[in-house]
Amino acid sequence: MLNILIVGNGQCGNRILDAINREAFGKKSRFGKYLSQQKYKSNVQTIAINTAVNDLKEMKFTKAKDRLHIPHLHGVGANRNVGKHVFEDNKTHIMRQIEERGNFDVCFVITSASGGTGSSFTPMLVEELKEKYDFPVYAVVVLPFREEGTLYLQNAAFCLRDIRESGADGIILADNQFLKQMGGNVESAYNGINDMVARRLLFLLDALDSEMMMVTDLGDFKTVMSGGAGLATIGFYEADTDIPVRTAIQKALSPSGLLFSSDVYDEASRAMIIIRGDRERLSIDEITTEIDKLSSSVGHVFKGIIVRDGELPQVLAVLTLESASELENLYAVAVDAIKHERAKKERVANDKELDRAFSQIDGMDPSY
Amino acid sequence: MTLYILSRKVKRQLVGVVFKFRGIMFCNRKTLTVIFFVFIFSLLFVGNASGKILFNDTIQQGDGYQINNIVIDVTEVFTGQEAATLRIYKGEDNDYIYDPFLSIDSSYKFDIEGEEVGITLLNVYSGVVPRVKLLITVTDDDFINSKTLGVINGGHNEAVFSGTPVLTINKVVDRNDIDVGDVIRVTVTVENRGDDDAIDVVFSEPQQEKFVLIDDILGSPGRIKVSVDDPVKKIYVYDLKATESGTFSLKPTTATFTNSVGDSFPQASSNRPSVIVDATEDLVNATLDVNTEFDKYTANRKETLSGTVRIKNTGTAAASAVTIKLIVPDGLEYAGSDASVEMISGIPTIYLDSFGVQQEKEIDFELKATEVGTYTVSTETSYLFNDGVNAQDQQVTSSSVTNKIYVTKGKYDYLFEQPLYVYIIPLIIIGAIAGWIIYRHKQYKF
Repeated sequence: MLNILIVGNGQCGNRILDAINREAFGKKSRFGKYLSQQKYKSNVQTIAINTAVNDLKEMKFTKAKDRLHIPHLHGVGANRNVGKHVFEDNKTHIMRQIEERGNFDVCFVITSASGGTGSSFTPMLVEELKEKYDFPVYAVVVLPFREEGTLYLQNAAFCLRDIRESGADGIILADNQFLKQMGGNVESAYNGINDMVARRLLFLLDALDSEMMMVTDLGDFKTVMSGGAGLATIGFYEADTDIPVRTAIQKALSPSGLLFSSDVYDEASRAMIIIRGDRERLSIDEITTEIDKLSSSVGHVFKGIIVRDGELPQVLAVLTLESASELENLYAVAVDAIKHERAKKERVANDKELDRAFSQIDGMDPSY
Repeated sequence: MTLYILSRKVKRQLVGVVFKFRGIMFCNRKTLTVIFFVFIFSLLFVGNASGKILFNDTIQQGDGYQINNIVIDVTEVFTGQEAATLRIYKGEDNDYIYDPFLSIDSSYKFDIEGEEVGITLLNVYSGVVPRVKLLITVTDDDFINSKTLGVINGGHNEAVFSGTPVLTINKVVDRNDIDVGDVIRVTVTVENRGDDDAIDVVFSEPQQEKFVLIDDILGSPGRIKVSVDDPVKKIYVYDLKATESGTFSLKPTTATFTNSVGDSFPQASSNRPSVIVDATEDLVNATLDVNTEFDKYTANRKETLSGTVRIKNTGTAAASAVTIKLIVPDGLEYAGSDASVEMISGIPTIYLDSFGVQQEKEIDFELKATEVGTYTVSTETSYLFNDGVNAQDQQVTSSSVTNKIYVTKGKYDYLFEQPLYVYIIPLIIIGAIAGWIIYRHKQYKF
């Protein structure tokens, strides 16, 4: 049994972590935590870290002992520099909390790249973990909507760079901009994205610790994640009707099944495909055909098959990317955003109009 | 007596036979045994026949022997003929009543106060004053006055006689037909109609029921003497007040006494005059009608019954200390009322200091049906009133019973008929669920 640590940093990380814990109960109802136990196959320990206590309070399915409040007013205000200082001040406390939970085989740190706490804490936390432990640490990073603002965009750009430089064993990307295709209002869109990420991670955790007809394990996952540019995304499809497994694989690898927009046949470096479903529905020919098709483009594809009686086909694909055109687009926008912010700051520094206005009352006192 | 005489003859014959055989010195052993037992038997037989021996001694001629008022004089002794003449006198009368002539071993019998007296001349003795030996027996000597028993020198002329006082006690009332509250005068007199004075006469006058002693005019007579010659004496004079209507016989006056020689006699009793006492219009009473009703007589278990106690004084006097106890049977439960009902020793009790003539009152109370069944509620009423005649209040007690109250099963009674586990198990499950929810809530509360 694997020992897995999942850390949710900042508001986004907390929510995805809470969604994972909720999905682990197997019930959609908010009363699921009263009616059942979490169905983790592995020993999964979760920690939610945040400077904003209200974000921690909003979590419903994560135990109180697993919510770690780092006191600093009510957040760091999207300022990564402040966030880094706060982490530095509380590093010992955070690491002790992780240490108390035991030894792990793998760690996932979930965060938004654009926010304050998550984007500033995650690179430093990964660095600390890598220094102190020898288990692989993977960052699950959620990229912002492009229109969310210049601060978020520059945070995302610097955060991704910092994580990559922190020594993380891989970065799994999830792009809000790409996922907003789900539609609906802001809340349902965020919740939907959180659920998508949570469901994929749970499937992955389940697969890494399951008896399989064709084996994929943590070692395979490490190999996949070590390929490419250290960036990865996850594709997933869960059939709701009795469809051929071939179709399910194709849908998992299609843009609608991925967390980050990519042409996997063109940009993927390594892949791991995990297929789950009823024995009757898992046609080995169809699976082989589709895997072969992918491997002819990607190179090596690890495949695992999990037989579950009565279940419709479900497919999870972990894909490391050699290149990410969408990421380049993001950085291009981010550079513009950084320049824009810098220009604004310079303008304000040079602006004397306000000083002239204030100078009119120099030498005067208020009279009451 | 005849038997006695015969026995003496047998004894003499037996003695003769024994002496005759002594000359021979020997006789048949069997014959001697028979003779011995015949002798013993004859002695026993003689004893039984003679009764009690009063006198067995000599009396001189001219003297007498007194038994109560009877004197047996030895009038003349004929030593030559071995006989004597006796005269028997009764009291101071100089005319004798019997004059038997007895020869030796002959007897004479006569009765004194129902007992048989026997006189047997045993022997005669000559001398300056001839004497006789008499055996005097009596069948039972209980009646004999010991003071007058014995030899009288000089015969009946010298005897002292005692009599029998006969007291006649008469109780009279001045009126025999009266109303309640009327006073009658009772007069008790005594008269000695006997032949001897009554000594140490002690009267006893019992208290008369249904009458109250108003005035004792003469008071107690104490220990007195009632002579034969005394006129009729008033012993008691007192006034009685009738307290109840009816026909009553006054209890008799009794007296104990002795005669002049101290003999006790059975106590004398007076007559019992009868008095008819009629009810009068002046007598008043309180009559409380107590009626208990319920709003319904069929109720489900756990349902409440509203009851009303209605009290009305239909009498002519006010009642006081009115107490009405509501006897609630098991299966019903007293559930409260207005302030008129108090719980005394666990019994709902209505207490009213006084209740005027024609006054009415209604007191509401509630009962709760606790068990299925058929019940009645009893009311026990007691009160006092003054009837205008007696100084003491009259107490009245009564009881009444309501109509039957039918208590049937309640709407949810079936719930109580289920076995305990039907409730315990769900409670345990609910408790466990609640505990689990609280535990989980605490786990997830931040």
